[in-house]
Amino acid sequence: MNPMEKFNSLNAKELAALDKACGWSLNAEELAEAQRQFRRMGRQPARGELETIAQTWSEHCKHKTFSGPVAFRDGAKTKKYRNLFKETIVKATRTLNRKWCLSVFTDNAGIVEFGKGGKWGLAFKAETHNHPCAVEPYGGAETGVGGVIRDILGVGLGAKPVLNTDTFCFGRLDGKKRLPKNALSPERVMRGVVEGVRDYGNRIGIPTAAGGIYFDDGYLLNPLVYVGCAGLIPVDKIDKKVIPGDLIVSIGGRTGRDGIHGATFSSANIDEETSASAVQIGHAVNEKKALDVLMRARDLGLYNAVTDCGAGGFSSAIGELGSETGARVRLEKALLKDTRIEPWEIWVSESQERMILSVPKGKLKKLAAILDAENCEYCVLGEFPGDGRLLVTHGEERVVDLPMAFLHGGVPNFEKAASRRRVKISAPAPARPTAGYGRALKSLLAHPNVCSRHSVITQYDHEVQGGTVGKPLQGRYGDGPGDAAVIWPQAATLDLHDFSGFAVSHGFNPAIGRIDPYQMALQSIDEAVRNLLAAGADVSRTAILDNFCAASPRDPEVMGDLVLAAEGCHDAAMAYGAPFISGKDSFYNQSKDADGREYPIPLSLLISATAPVEDVRRALTINFKEAGNPVYLAGATAPGMGGSVYNELRDTGNNAVAPLDMKAAVKLYAGLARAIKAGCVAAAHDVSQGGLAVTLSEMAFSGGFGADIDLAPARRGLTGTELLFGESPARLVLEVAKGREAEFLRLVKGLPVAEIGYVKEEPLLSVSDGSERFFTEDIFALKDCWKRELI
Amino acid sequence: MKPKVIILRGTATNCDIETFNSFRYVGAEPELVHINQLLAGGKKALDYDIMAFPGGFSYGDDISAGKIYAVKMAKLSKDFEKFIKGGRPVIGICNGFQILVKTGFLPENRANKQVSTLYTNDCGHFIAKWARLRVNKASPCIFTKGLPDEIDLPIAHGEGKFIVEDKGELAAITGRNLHALTYAENPNGSMLGIAGITNPAGTCFGLMPHPERNFFAWQNPDRPAAAREAEAAGYQFFKNAVDYVG
Repeated sequence: MNPMEKFNSLNAKELAALDKACGWSLNAEELAEAQRQFRRMGRQPARGELETIAQTWSEHCKHKTFSGPVAFRDGAKTKKYRNLFKETIVKATRTLNRKWCLSVFTDNAGIVEFGKGGKWGLAFKAETHNHPCAVEPYGGAETGVGGVIRDILGVGLGAKPVLNTDTFCFGRLDGKKRLPKNALSPERVMRGVVEGVRDYGNRIGIPTAAGGIYFDDGYLLNPLVYVGCAGLIPVDKIDKKVIPGDLIVSIGGRTGRDGIHGATFSSANIDEETSASAVQIGHAVNEKKALDVLMRARDLGLYNAVTDCGAGGFSSAIGELGSETGARVRLEKALLKDTRIEPWEIWVSESQERMILSVPKGKLKKLAAILDAENCEYCVLGEFPGDGRLLVTHGEERVVDLPMAFLHGGVPNFEKAASRRRVKISAPAPARPTAGYGRALKSLLAHPNVCSRHSVITQYDHEVQGGTVGKPLQGRYGDGPGDAAVIWPQAATLDLHDFSGFAVSHGFNPAIGRIDPYQMALQSIDEAVRNLLAAGADVSRTAILDNFCAASPRDPEVMGDLVLAAEGCHDAAMAYGAPFISGKDSFYNQSKDADGREYPIPLSLLISATAPVEDVRRALTINFKEAGNPVYLAGATAPGMGGSVYNELRDTGNNAVAPLDMKAAVKLYAGLARAIKAGCVAAAHDVSQGGLAVTLSEMAFSGGFGADIDLAPARRGLTGTELLFGESPARLVLEVAKGREAEFLRLVKGLPVAEIGYVKEEPLLSVSDGSERFFTEDIFALKDCWKRELI
Repeated sequence: MKPKVIILRGTATNCDIETFNSFRYVGAEPELVHINQLLAGGKKALDYDIMAFPGGFSYGDDISAGKIYAVKMAKLSKDFEKFIKGGRPVIGICNGFQILVKTGFLPENRANKQVSTLYTNDCGHFIAKWARLRVNKASPCIFTKGLPDEIDLPIAHGEGKFIVEDKGELAAITGRNLHALTYAENPNGSMLGIAGITNPAGTCFGLMPHPERNFFAWQNPDRPAAAREAEAAGYQFFKNAVDYVG
């Protein structure tokens, strides 16, 4: 007997059992609310209706935790939020109200102005695909990449993707922790994820040119895979509107039984019962066909609206497009991969590479001609009637018959408890490394979170479309670590005489978050902005994305960390004048091992940032360019070793996080931007993981030059360890062109910018502070430590 | 009159637009044409002066790189043969080179038989990096004329290892200097480090590296802080084709 036929009379326990059996991940309140609604309608629900509700109300689709009410307890004080997301991140964007923001938080991606003349918009979005990658790394990564590309194809009337980004978090490859029975080894996860990103991104012809890899045992059972995409869209193609009477057309891939319950599965703990069929199967070539069709059909005006099939499949995509008009769907019209599929499964399947278009009846023929010319499959699923009713049938069977308002208005929300986690801070002066500074530097360069990523990057086609001007690997030997990707989107603009470009960078530091989530948010934004500046971008026009990954929000301290980081996001966005334009969050990144022990991830905030590069020909690289050029340190060094890579290698007992002075940073960057624009700066590189000594090493060996460095002007009472290996934020190292020094100094007058030495031909990096010689090392020996094969 | 360039594409021909831009920059009139348009008869290859097969993953590189595209071309082989034998310039870049090899147009032989292949790289996977290339000055190749002895271009391929059936074929290539480009450091295990070969007339040329990605100085990973000089090594390949027919 169909268990749905008794739905309205089930008690709470029976509802929970049904929820588990069906894999909905609805909580008790939501199940009760659904029951109330159907009782009010005076009938039992159909399976398809409950499936639709589970998809639409899922954390993945609704972000109910972040957008819900929170009570944050901090000692005796309690602060209440009605909507945490709106009162922090969105608030900053609204207050800043930058006129170059063309679309924020409403569509599949955020859009900012691009280039001169107001012709183009740049759409940018990042997503996570964590749960699938834990279960099936290759397939999970492939479909993650495919999914975020579809967000860009489905923003406005469709943007042309010109850049992919990816940031991964894995357990330590050399970790000592014993793996639980059901977990894949971090090496296997990494290999699968890298190969998935490679095979999908390369096949579809979008350069993967920015991102990062972070190792920490907090990710042993729950790896994180952040995938991002940026695309160009003509500004007159940003608005979309379904017109009643339009046809619902699905183009691209077929529908199958892969990816049933992906959206709801992402809110469940991963355990031995987790099924790999919750992961979709990717096929990049189908998505490329859809991309080629969309770009042509968009320019010919053949459809009124478009969106992607992501989480929840047809149910979400058609539900979203038809939220005002309603939708009439005939599932028997769907093209299938597999005929052994239930009607409700067609409705919620997350099979990949499908886009939903809203097509005026009179334009279907023209659209079909393009689809046929590109060998892209399609089907007409029904129409948008304008009566506000969602009616989904399969032959005679009624799969869903609900008012749209019920789906989009009905989600119940409940206050989450949050509290501040207390971390004991101690700040003794960090000692001198016992084996000497040179040895310490070498182990830092070889640390998995510092060493070269070339063995991963070279597997990605990071230069397809011919526009990757700021490369992930740069310098004399084509292997230095770039700070930001600089993209010249010639494949979208078709204009080789327009040198407008944009830069994309990231900031990420969960190690600081373990100590101080608020500082983590500030410093991640600072790092992203600084990376953009180092590539020569106009940081006064930075736009950012937030991607939060966290453990279970049922833990008040997890929620407390989130509140503090969200407040940090607000404050930094305001200080830097950098609005958030889009974001996403992923919770429940927490799993039990075979012994029942919980492995929650640390709060992980990925900041992705973009800013315009006025003339890509002048974009900066990190490598030293010429012997005799002076070297400058910009930004004051603050004490504190908290969150540093050095602390992980040799615990100094000092876990104080060097604080960020945002006002000073903004002033500094404005001055440096003037100097860069004037052409005084030959190379720039940010100081981040590993500290100043790592930055200097990378600039030296990427250029094949040595340097004589005297840090006396920067010392200010700090120990050598803090000075060389501390990760105090808001600092960059600059190489200034000979003969431009006077002009440079005039442009940065009054700012904390100090000359610390000069570039030299001899391949030795010597660092002292006048009285004390820290180390002298051969740059190629340093490079050998750094250039490890991760994969 | 601007020379007309047919840029042949199909599903997942990914480098078509930058190839289009490159030809337009050097004064040609390029047009993107899907192989389906040729097969349906709406477009004719022989209406163009220059032909280009861009890079990408045509039809997913299923079976082997470029194979499906080559099979689709078989029905039109007479037109292609006429185009090539008539001395009109043809360039195949990366996946385009793979297509020219799988069709048997390169290395050139009377029966258009496939006598060589581009096999999986020795490292076993896709690689994208910059490579130093030696230019064979004795080669009849019209595309590499006027280039310096050594140039840098990026490679980006999984199947780029050039191998031929027997020593005789290899001797036929080297004896006539058809190997217009060789790698200074062999990245994929190609015989003699061959990166690109031409037909004896020098007009049909296939290469694994991407000249359209080092078209301007600012596309180079090792560049000065402000790249002022515009055109780089890759520019010359396209310019040569246009000058040849002009």
